[in-house]
Amino acid sequence: MIAEEPRIDPTRVTELAQSLEAELARLIVGQKELVRDTVIALIAGGHMLLEGVPGLGKTVLVRALGQSLRLSFARIQFTPDLMPADIVGTNVIHEEKGRREFHYQAGPLFANLVLADEINRATPKTQSALLEAMQERTVTVGTQTRPLPVPFFVLATQNPIELEGTYPLPEAQLDRFFFKALVPFPSEAELLEIARRTTGNSLPKLAPVADAEAILAAQEVAREVPIAEHVLAYAGRLIISTHPARTEIDRVRKYVRYGASPRGLQTLVLAGKVRALLEGRYNVAFDDLDAVAHAALRHRIFMQFEAEADEVTSDQIIDEILEKTDKAKAAG
Amino acid sequence: MSSLEAVVRELRWSSVRTSAIRYLLHALLAASAWVLAVLLASRLMPIEQVVRIAAYGIPIAFAAVAVAWIATRPRPAQLMRAADLRLGLKERLSTAWERRGLAGPMDGPLRRDALEKAARAKLSAAFPVGARRHEVLLTAAVAVTAIGLILLPNPMDQVLSQRRADRAAQSRAATAVGAAQKKLAAASSPAPVDPQVQKILQDTTAKISTAPDPRTALQAITPAEQQLLQLTDPQTPARASSAQNLANNLAGTNAGKSASQAISASPSQGAQAIRQLASQLQSLSPQDRAELAKALAAAAQQAKDPQMAASLQQASSALQSGDLGAAALALNDVAGQLDSLQQQENTNQEVASAINGLEAARQQLAGQADRDSGTSPSGASASGSPSAAATGTGSGNGNGNGNGTQPGNGNGNGNGTGNGNGSGGTGGQGTQGSGAGQGNAAASTERVYVPGQPVPGQSETDPAPLGPGQDVPLTPYTQVVQAYQQAALDASDQSLIPGSERDLIRAYFSSLGEQPAP
Repeated sequence: MIAEEPRIDPTRVTELAQSLEAELARLIVGQKELVRDTVIALIAGGHMLLEGVPGLGKTVLVRALGQSLRLSFARIQFTPDLMPADIVGTNVIHEEKGRREFHYQAGPLFANLVLADEINRATPKTQSALLEAMQERTVTVGTQTRPLPVPFFVLATQNPIELEGTYPLPEAQLDRFFFKALVPFPSEAELLEIARRTTGNSLPKLAPVADAEAILAAQEVAREVPIAEHVLAYAGRLIISTHPARTEIDRVRKYVRYGASPRGLQTLVLAGKVRALLEGRYNVAFDDLDAVAHAALRHRIFMQFEAEADEVTSDQIIDEILEKTDKAKAAG
Repeated sequence: MSSLEAVVRELRWSSVRTSAIRYLLHALLAASAWVLAVLLASRLMPIEQVVRIAAYGIPIAFAAVAVAWIATRPRPAQLMRAADLRLGLKERLSTAWERRGLAGPMDGPLRRDALEKAARAKLSAAFPVGARRHEVLLTAAVAVTAIGLILLPNPMDQVLSQRRADRAAQSRAATAVGAAQKKLAAASSPAPVDPQVQKILQDTTAKISTAPDPRTALQAITPAEQQLLQLTDPQTPARASSAQNLANNLAGTNAGKSASQAISASPSQGAQAIRQLASQLQSLSPQDRAELAKALAAAAQQAKDPQMAASLQQASSALQSGDLGAAALALNDVAGQLDSLQQQENTNQEVASAINGLEAARQQLAGQADRDSGTSPSGASASGSPSAAATGTGSGNGNGNGNGTQPGNGNGNGNGTGNGNGSGGTGGQGTQGSGAGQGNAAASTERVYVPGQPVPGQSETDPAPLGPGQDVPLTPYTQVVQAYQQAALDASDQSLIPGSERDLIRAYFSSLGEQPAP
């Protein structure tokens, strides 16, 4: 039996991720988990929703990512008056040699990295346009459907405070994000380091460590990482445990309205594969699933009103699910 | 580590070693639990052969655990998964093993990575040798409890020993009846009722053997005795008396002297002699005929059997009238009646032998039934000197009682049986009874045996006229009332009998003693 060789060496993916993380770390202080999640989502080919108060470096992160990857970058500030055509592009009348004709002018979505800043401030109509592009990786204007560039990676941000006048993303739209990362407030030491780095005359200039082709190859390799049946079963059990009607965990039954969708399982497994590669392994481990569970599931678990009243978050629910789902049982 | 198979082999060996110790502990726990359960059950209910039952369970428990051990031995995939979890190998081994037959782009690096990590890990640590503390403690607790129960006295042992004694007594009783049955079967001249007697004895033996306890077995004996007695002819005593009177009257005549001796010897010989006398009437002198007619007339008068009396009277009248033919004919009738008497006596003898066998069985069962009722205390010794002599039919029974002289009170019973022939045999000597007590064993008993202490002046060899068909001789109660009274008062001294009841007993016997002797 002759084993099929991978198209690129898996270790190259590990090296790529590590060098990317190292490069980002030159600009981003702390936020290692956020950076790791971002890299995982990028290599997995998913989109990411960042939630955090303003000023925590979300935009800096996306911009730094664009610089490090030699990819085209676009930033869209979502406002209530932003129209779908403003992001997907529109046909404009173009006059040349006395002849007028419609000419398609691409919107900011036609970039490899798109920062959708404060996505919850746009109207649902515009949100839908973005999310459709995220899902289909194409945009349709008039009668023409145009593919978006590959890789296509959207990082949307939203502010958990100042919700007045915003349009919270509906559950179905949230499900389209691969990960939802919470941007934590930095520690005191990190704050001081941020101040030191950003209040001088010179900012670090990031060097590109990969290009679009390398990212696409890495995405392909990540999908080849094998997952054992019992590990896959564990992932399935985690998803099942998020459903109040099918779980044995009391707090899930009490506080959860809807559990994670099958897309949540896909995310969990794919993110686990990427994390395994980043850890220098060629198989998915239970730890990989545990590590990505919060980012993959927190926006796919919809809580009851009682949860809000009791200040129970989806992260707490995920913690409990991880704690009570027996790995040894899955191992048989 | 050269291959995944080598990893599996090493893991399997480690797993077998670990699980063997664990399952051995389980087997010990199961065996101890079984023994404990049997011991507990044996304390709640009488169980025969507790040791054997407990011992049989031990190998069965070990075998069952061994089967469970074999049936639950882990598959290679399970070994790999367990090793991954316990050695922190991040599911490398299990994934590589699961995909060992595949040739995907990642499988080669995965396999190399898994083997490399396995080589660095101590695989045997995945299945550490050792027993779980709570299992060891549980096993030890069960074993100690079982040993404790073994060492402590079991209240059911007494019940079991009583049950064994019951079975032994029933077996002895059945043997006694069976021996009587064999003896009758071996007799040279069986009576006409022999098949019926055999059947009764056989049925009784079966009932005794299958009875649940001696008391129930005892209930089979009295009906059997009644059935046997129904086989006898109630006219036999009268006919025998008539024959004896004939012999006595003929003894005084010249012609009938030899016939007299023959009748005394046995009815059959007497019948032969009477026939011979009938054939010799012609040759007798007139004086002898007259003497013979007179003797026959006297015998006819004394005869209690009307048929024999009529025949004798007819023979006497014929002789007196000189009708020798008619006299011979009448004498031949008498001879026929003597033959019939012989047969009846044979029957009675056989019935008596059978009844003796049943009585022997009764003594065995009654003794054990008394002990079962708690009437046989232990401690002091008591002895009895039973004796009985059999005459006539040659069978006899004897009973004896003794009172203990040690501190406390005790009563003992002894029984003896014996058989004799012809002039009768001496009754068997009763075995020495034993018994005594702490003075509190006179619990309620359904059977109260009036002790048959030898009456003063009555020796052991006194003939007891217990011939077949004859009434049991009566002893004037004045001769026995004192012994009976003493036995009753001794029994009443038992502490469980209230004082007022003892006074009642004493008063009863006192009133008997005041009555004139009949």
